[in-house]
Amino acid sequence: MNDLDTGMESLLEAFIYETNELLDHLDEILLESEKAKTISENNINSIFRITHTIKGSAAMLEFEEMSTLAHAVEDVFYIIREDASKLDLVFDELFDLVFQASDFLRKEITAISSGEYTPSDASSLIQSFHEQARIMKGEQPAAAKPADAQPAATAETAASAPAAAVSTETEHGRGMRVRVFFEDGCQMENMRAFMLISQLQSCCGKVESVPANPEKDQALSAEIVKNGLLLTCCGYESEDEVLKTVEQALNIKSYEILPAEGSPCSVQEPVEESSQQAAVEEAEQPTASAQPVAATSEKANTTATKTGVKQSLISVNQSKLDHLMDLVGEIVTAESMVARDPDLEGLRLDHFNKSVRELRKLTDELQDVVMSIRMLPLHGIFQKMSRIVRDMAKKLGKQAELITFGGDTEIDKTINDAIADPLMHMIRNSMDHAIEMPEERVAKGKPSMGKVILAARNVGGEILIDVSDDGYGMDAKKLLAKAKEKGLLTKPESEYTEKEIFQMIMLPGFSTNKEVTEYSGRGVGMDVVRKNVERVGGTITISSEYGKGTTFTIKIPLTLAIVDGMTLAIGDTVFTLPITSIRQSFKVGEEQHIIKNSNGTEMIMVRGECLPILRLHRMYGIEPKYEEIKDGILVQIENSSASACIFADELLGEYQIVVKPFPKFFNKYDLKSEGLSGCSILGDGTVSLILDANALINNL
Amino acid sequence: MANDILNTEQTVQSELDNRFLMFYINHMLYSVELRYVLEIITVQSVTHIPSVPGYVKGIINLRGKVIPVIDMRLKLGMEEREYDDKACIVVVEIKEIHIGLIVDSVSEVVNVSKDNTSSTPPGDITEKYISSITVHNDRTVLNIDCEKLFMDDCNMVEEG
Repeated sequence: MNDLDTGMESLLEAFIYETNELLDHLDEILLESEKAKTISENNINSIFRITHTIKGSAAMLEFEEMSTLAHAVEDVFYIIREDASKLDLVFDELFDLVFQASDFLRKEITAISSGEYTPSDASSLIQSFHEQARIMKGEQPAAAKPADAQPAATAETAASAPAAAVSTETEHGRGMRVRVFFEDGCQMENMRAFMLISQLQSCCGKVESVPANPEKDQALSAEIVKNGLLLTCCGYESEDEVLKTVEQALNIKSYEILPAEGSPCSVQEPVEESSQQAAVEEAEQPTASAQPVAATSEKANTTATKTGVKQSLISVNQSKLDHLMDLVGEIVTAESMVARDPDLEGLRLDHFNKSVRELRKLTDELQDVVMSIRMLPLHGIFQKMSRIVRDMAKKLGKQAELITFGGDTEIDKTINDAIADPLMHMIRNSMDHAIEMPEERVAKGKPSMGKVILAARNVGGEILIDVSDDGYGMDAKKLLAKAKEKGLLTKPESEYTEKEIFQMIMLPGFSTNKEVTEYSGRGVGMDVVRKNVERVGGTITISSEYGKGTTFTIKIPLTLAIVDGMTLAIGDTVFTLPITSIRQSFKVGEEQHIIKNSNGTEMIMVRGECLPILRLHRMYGIEPKYEEIKDGILVQIENSSASACIFADELLGEYQIVVKPFPKFFNKYDLKSEGLSGCSILGDGTVSLILDANALINNL
Repeated sequence: MANDILNTEQTVQSELDNRFLMFYINHMLYSVELRYVLEIITVQSVTHIPSVPGYVKGIINLRGKVIPVIDMRLKLGMEEREYDDKACIVVVEIKEIHIGLIVDSVSEVVNVSKDNTSSTPPGDITEKYISSITVHNDRTVLNIDCEKLFMDDCNMVEEG
């Protein structure tokens, strides 16, 4: 697929999006079913629908391998749908296979979206599916061609359902002829025709088309454009249903019902097309079997009831959202530019101030709306983690289950993407190093089934995500010894608290496990996890009880883009501190004593607490206005564990600021560790530097 | 919007080929290829960034976009001096990174044919930044190779 022209690109995008959604859904069903050790009829139908849709759309875009594989899965579930008891014959093998298939498809999709797609070979997987199908059908001779196997199976079930067979007899008498025209220039008419035919097959027993087998030859497109696609449907339940299917199909310009042999009626009805509703809905459409005996009417009904659910969703390119976010940021900046215009200083402007307040209210609201658009529930990530736990448990011979809470907690898309990797790593760590083998667990008096808990909750402006396990737990003494051996200690051993010791496993160069396994210990340790989390402004804390388990808590901000900040001046430079990290600010009076240490550091007693004073002008080499502490002002900042005071010349006021990352040019300088997390443009157009209280305190 | 227009102009390569923007640094004429240049702005207040090399003066706000600015005197190993009203920031785009170059003053845009240029003498320190030398109205012009000039900075960017 190298020649993806522009007409296909949007189609391709929809395909990638839709297939990803479908695969997620598939995984979800599989995990749920595997746990329950059975598949409900609804779920079988869902799986069937999912694979059918993937098959169709993959075929339409000429992704042969994906289509064939989806077809193979569909075949297997077709058998199960007919007789659910057959599932027990192959339960475990089948689930593994379907998971593999889902992984395969996912990999292909990733390759397609990266633009470098070369079809991979799925034949061995497909072969395995055919084998399973054969086993389920009860040791049929292996020589039987898989493609033929399906009708054989249906014949078998047809015998057990005589009613259905009778109905086909009678329905064959009725035939309906429809001529369909596709929209001008919608391209690939032959594949669209094929899609339509396979959709029609879900409500009619048999569909014949002129030209026949349009999917086989691209050249037939021209003929379809010219003469339309002539469809002859037999064995349908109701004419309405057939017409409805035609109407709902994509890119149909118009259709006409032709007089079916002998019958005189003729209706013409141009139909407005509704391609905008694309992907999401299509998954909801009942796409039942293509076989003559097909779904018994009862089953058809259960799928049909789902058509009513229409989701009013649209998918938007993320870059557009990013742009929108940027624009809102500009508006927020422009608003404070107007409201604090120096020309207005000292004037009494009651009416103006009222208007500004109104504007402020609206921009706040606009900002909230745009933010909420970017919010995604964590559910998707959690879903992936269940997969990892399942796969690793199988591979490592451990027993473990993932329990998730708060999957509906929403978080900014950027952060959502950024924490997927760290979370995955932590879950892998838990599975690989923390959860014991089942025998060992039993010996320790724990249930043989290990628990990995993933819990998210919203606390104020932050999200807390706990990753906990009930495995080995960490041994503080052992960790301390290890840290000593690696020369990572910065103070006497006895001064380390348990919390500090646990925190050390996230130092670069600290990896407690010498073995390299398939899943972890490839040199990518907790320090990388910490880095990734910190990149989006998060922190990780660890608590553990030896022998009982470990809990990692990730604390991340809800959103990165706009924060309330206090601006302060030091010399000519303007800094901004996020309000959330400020505890208080105060002037130092004559009576308050500044403690000066011999190494030049200073401290001050505040309400019984001894706080270090940070002279940023010294750190950053800025010429300050005031050198004397009592001339300037102290701002007390805090992170989760400690507190300190920043010495500034003066406070400039509270602003809503739009956080911008430093230009890429500065990537090679580690500004983050200098305590600067980004920059923002102030109302007067100057650039202020955003201070990272956490990094400043950690640097002490 | 301004950027879009500039970008479309940039795609009209032929118009920009062999055209150079000349500017003065320390009474010497230098030039950069016009295709790198986005715009020329007056020197405005620069926000200092700690712990970066001295030639990186800091960041400025260019219509809502934050870009780094570099003092060309320092970058080329010359003495720093106060910026006067003639001093300008030439905004260039190199490998999709916008950088502002502070120069003493901007002279003009000239067409330079390939015949008029000669290569730099080998071994010179300027060889690191200067791609060729031209003579324009009896004055020697040193043509700065933008990509070479910021090779260190930009390569690191890619790694980061």
